[in-house]
Amino acid sequence: MKTKRRVAFSLLLALILVAVAAAMMVIGRGHTVYFDNKTLEDYQGQTYKAANKIVVTVKGEEVAKLGPRERGMSIWIGQDFKMVLEITQEKGGESEIREIDLKLPYNVDGIVVNLPALLAGLPEEAWFSEFVPAETEAPEEEVTGDEFGLDGGMGLEDELGLEDGLGDI
Amino acid sequence: MKEKKNIPAGKRILELVRNNAVPIMFIIICAVFIPMAGFSPSYLLNEIITRMGRNLFLVLCLLFPIMAGMGLNFAMTLGAMGAEIAVILVADWQIWGIPGVVLSMILSIPFSAFLGFICGTLQNMAKGREMITSYIINFFINGWYQLIVLYVMGAVIPIIHASIMLPRGYGIRNTVSLLNMRQCLDDLLAIRVSGVKIPVLTFLLVGVFCLFIIWFRRTKLGQDMRAVGQDLEVAKAAGINVDRTRIISVVMSTVCAGFGMVIYLQNIGNLPTYTGHAQIGMFCIAALLVGGASVEKASIGNAFLGVILFHLMFIVAPGAGAFITGDSMVGEYFRVFLSYGVITLALIMYEAKKRMVKSKAGQMLANAQKEEEAAR
Repeated sequence: MKTKRRVAFSLLLALILVAVAAAMMVIGRGHTVYFDNKTLEDYQGQTYKAANKIVVTVKGEEVAKLGPRERGMSIWIGQDFKMVLEITQEKGGESEIREIDLKLPYNVDGIVVNLPALLAGLPEEAWFSEFVPAETEAPEEEVTGDEFGLDGGMGLEDELGLEDGLGDI
Repeated sequence: MKEKKNIPAGKRILELVRNNAVPIMFIIICAVFIPMAGFSPSYLLNEIITRMGRNLFLVLCLLFPIMAGMGLNFAMTLGAMGAEIAVILVADWQIWGIPGVVLSMILSIPFSAFLGFICGTLQNMAKGREMITSYIINFFINGWYQLIVLYVMGAVIPIIHASIMLPRGYGIRNTVSLLNMRQCLDDLLAIRVSGVKIPVLTFLLVGVFCLFIIWFRRTKLGQDMRAVGQDLEVAKAAGINVDRTRIISVVMSTVCAGFGMVIYLQNIGNLPTYTGHAQIGMFCIAALLVGGASVEKASIGNAFLGVILFHLMFIVAPGAGAFITGDSMVGEYFRVFLSYGVITLALIMYEAKKRMVKSKAGQMLANAQKEEEAAR
């Protein structure tokens, strides 16, 4: 009886941990959202002009102030992205404030949002694209550490990227 | 109690100094070094509080094997390795912030528990030589860790992001950035008191862990551990499954070390893949010993005092070194050699004390025999 209860308790604990881990994977997925204030040309025969100025606020913090052909970015944890845009279409004109909610795809790290297309209410394919970082030839990295893991500096150099070995422990 | 009162004050002070030689030595060192280093009190306090949040969890996890009489668990590094594997995976899956920390902790459990089980089993095969066994197991498992991180990750275990993978297409880079996880625990609920940042959530976690240790000591398993720690044979005769209890203590220690390592890494903000865990065990053990703990006895108070004193010395030593010799590297070497020195000193003192007790017991036995013979 006691063993049965112990097994049941262990299974329940494992189940709870798996559930929490799964929840963390969903709510903790990080994305980088890039905002483009760029004219969208010739989309179904129409052109959507970039605004004179767009101020992007995420979580109450101003993350970008975009002129035409400018890009800003923000990081976001989770899939329900919210931002507030302050749009000034023409120089010296009145600004308009819009709250935008976006559903970010789980498996995309970097998301580029074309703001003029988004604000014009176009379908996702018009304003959404995946950010692909440019591939650069990185120098071959050497792995440090001797065979016993006893470096001369006791591993302190690597901490905080300090070269003088005065890192923290 | 009466006997204690009869002891002269001078002898009592001498006994107190002898029993707390290491913390007293460190207090003196710090008292001399602090004015030399020339840091402001708020800077020192800030640094100490940061380091307490970063290291206390790791140091506290050493208490379980000491409770079970297995000495200082150098194999807590295994938990750190388990946590590092978990953190690498979480960084690759792009789980950021607090969820990333929680997921890393959960994910580290199977790795740490498995390694702790192996370590506990091997230590049971080498009873009486647990510390050196755990120390060597570190090197053994470190080899496997390097093999997994250097060759298996990316080749067998899928790693998606090029930013953490070596340019050749498999293996993990020297440093993995945890920028999106950096100080997320420390910053949440943090308060500032006259320029000093207090990471409330991290301290809450440490507090909960301390309460867990206090509660655990009173449980049946905790009592069994203490009984095993006092005398293996007596515990066995009392019907305690000694081997199982010892394995559990090591598993608990490594799993908690895994949690501690995640807290440590989120504070640092990057993961030195191949060296991050290498000295963790050594420094945590040194900190605990500096706090007045010994191979067979340690408390939560020792852990707190040790972290404060040891890290205070770490902060002020380079400045003091620069003041004395004009070269801060002297202070850097000084703090490193002191941390090894304190472990050596503690081990020597433990051995000397054990021999003294043994010889005293022998003398008492001989005297008793002599008296018995004289009475005949």
